[in-house]
Amino acid sequence: MNAKPVLIVGGGPSGLAAARALADVGQRAILVEKEPRLGGAPILSGYAKLVPSGEWAKDAIGGMVSAVEGNSLVTVHRGCTVNEFDGKPGDFRAKLSNGVSVEAGAVILCTGFTHFDSVNKPEWGFGTFPDVVTTTQVEQMISSGQGVRCPSDGRKPQRVAILLCVGSRDRQIGREWCSKICCTVSSNLAMEIREELPDCHVYIYYMDIRTFGLYETKYYWKSQEEFKVKYIKARIAEVTSNGEKLIVKGEDTLVKRPITIPFDMVVHAIGMDPNVDNKTLAKTFGVGLEPHGFIGKGNSYDALGATTRAGIFVAGAATGPETIDDSIAQGNAAAMAAFALVSQHAARGVAA
Amino acid sequence: MSHATGSRVQQHIGDPLSAEPALPLTKLEEIFKDIQSDLRFDHELNGCLNCGICTATCPAAHYYDFSPREIVQLLWTENLEGIYDAMQEKIWACAQCYTCAARCPFGNSPGGLVMLMRETAIKHGMQSAKNVLRPFSRVMLKLISTGNQLSPDMINRDHFADWGPNISKIEAPLKLLRQAIPMPTLNTTATAWEVNLKTSVELYTIWEETGVLKQLETVDENLFDVISDIMDEKREDWKDFLADQEDEKDEKDD
Ligand SMILES: Cc1cc2nc3c(=O)[nH]c(=O)nc-3n(C[C@H](O)[C@H](O)[C@H](O)COP(=O)(O)OP(=O)(O)OC[C@H]3O[C@@H](n4cnc5c(N)ncnc54)[C@H](O)[C@@H]3O)c2cc1C
Ligand code: SF4
Ligand code: SF4
Ligand code: SF4
Repeated sequence: MNAKPVLIVGGGPSGLAAARALADVGQRAILVEKEPRLGGAPILSGYAKLVPSGEWAKDAIGGMVSAVEGNSLVTVHRGCTVNEFDGKPGDFRAKLSNGVSVEAGAVILCTGFTHFDSVNKPEWGFGTFPDVVTTTQVEQMISSGQGVRCPSDGRKPQRVAILLCVGSRDRQIGREWCSKICCTVSSNLAMEIREELPDCHVYIYYMDIRTFGLYETKYYWKSQEEFKVKYIKARIAEVTSNGEKLIVKGEDTLVKRPITIPFDMVVHAIGMDPNVDNKTLAKTFGVGLEPHGFIGKGNSYDALGATTRAGIFVAGAATGPETIDDSIAQGNAAAMAAFALVSQHAARGVAA
Repeated sequence: MSHATGSRVQQHIGDPLSAEPALPLTKLEEIFKDIQSDLRFDHELNGCLNCGICTATCPAAHYYDFSPREIVQLLWTENLEGIYDAMQEKIWACAQCYTCAARCPFGNSPGGLVMLMRETAIKHGMQSAKNVLRPFSRVMLKLISTGNQLSPDMINRDHFADWGPNISKIEAPLKLLRQAIPMPTLNTTATAWEVNLKTSVELYTIWEETGVLKQLETVDENLFDVISDIMDEKREDWKDFLADQEDEKDEKDD
């Protein structure tokens, strides 16, 4: 087997899936992960139960990590990035930040996304009021076993408001895209809160509910029918405080009146930003970005996962907001394309 | 069969059950076209997420039957009757504070759109515009003829009921009080400051060129006449002043 290895950058769900798929067909892979541990957002940010499987992230994604870490065909570099890169399809060279130089026949960028930082939306109170939190914080409260509590004094909240589209669909902060997963994740979290705290009322403030496909019944309908989660069609103007409670000011657009409701806890359903590294990645690897700042796709219907540069592929949330399932599918698809490329070059090498 | 009476829609647009609309469609179209053809329209309306941030943040919506989101929706969906209906009353509730524009996630300016509708209401001499502007005739008279909105002698018990007992303070001898101000140009009572004749005359040109006077003529013909007379007088004074200057110059030259 003289095919050069495939370089995979990023060890989240998409990168893990790509590495595993390549190893399964006997192809060597080099996995470079910036953080000291593998698993991507679900592990690094401590997600609780995943949508739609209902499995705990540490089990589901943890399983993917073990499959890769124990695999002799995959070389993993943790706490590491790619500093220099050049070459052509079938024959690339990369210099890693840990000093190691590697050769690769193809590259798959699985560098994912960055969580929206809610301080960029100051009128919604994050960073000002301790009981304004993000969906990732609630995920962590649940996954750590601590339970959903108000950070200010540790009390159990009696009323929780989840604000959708925080950091998405908002021209004021230059983020016009929909982050795709936060509606479903929020319905799921609402049910988890109601399950842990049956006396707690949970309200979701939405513009549109995008629990697409099969998620509709499993999350949107179920959360209402079985968990009595309340949905208010409104985007919030501002979150303030009366010293005791958080005050949420919005319009109930279906009743057409401004409303002000007190809450114990306000949760921002934060969106998925382009990875903050994308400009550097684009420069290092010579690939183009799409207008929102995610890594641009070379085409939609030809080689799967193509970027604007031949031999370099992309998968998962690096291309835009994606679910874990889709990221895994894209990781597999990009692995297939990369495998085809390195095999063809290897075959030519033998023939020559 | 009887049906609900007295809704604004029926009053202004007609009985929905009768075949004849009170206002012909062509008129409604003409009004919308006037709003839509303004240069600002496309900048202030990009679409709408129906999120309600504008209404939630709008001070006027808290006190009146007025919703900027509704205004945006009417314009975006080109609901001609709804637009006309809103122009009868609702649009006059806006405080033109533009908080909505600062917050709209789609980058719209609902307050700016209200302004376009107001200008169109004035252009078409709508009764609502006349009603709304009538209490302001004193202010308009002062503003258009002198460039001052409010003068010290306009502040009195009748017009400033909301000042409560404090109003007595300004009932002291006005002239004397004003003379206590160290700037001589502020020792005035009929205007807030001494208005230069040349400035006034230039201001009139601005009113004429920008169409303000035409708008005034449409909504309040009496006031327009009064102000026109004042303008004529001041322009005469200015001409006389210039002629005097010429004479003085000639005398000196001789
Ligand atoms: C609050 C929240 C909850 C969610 N819950 C769910 C859910 O329940 N179910 C679901 O399907 N989806 C969920 N998602 C979406 C899910 O997080 C993504 O689909 C998934 O993480 C995408 O995987 P990825 O591998 O493409 O990217 P990521 O998970 O972002 O992984 C990218 C990896 O690349 C590494 N990396 C980044 N830059 C570099 C670099 N320059 N060099 C080297 N390595 C780098 C990162 O450290 C990271 O390990 C949720 C998202 C949010 C925001
Ligand atoms: S998925 Fe839902 S919450 Fe997330 S950006 Fe889209 S509409 Fe908003
Ligand atoms: S400009 Fe008008 S519509 Fe906009 S917030 Fe202010 S009062 Fe409301
Ligand atoms: S804030 Fe903007 S997008 Fe939201 S309802 Fe108002 S006009 Fe529409």
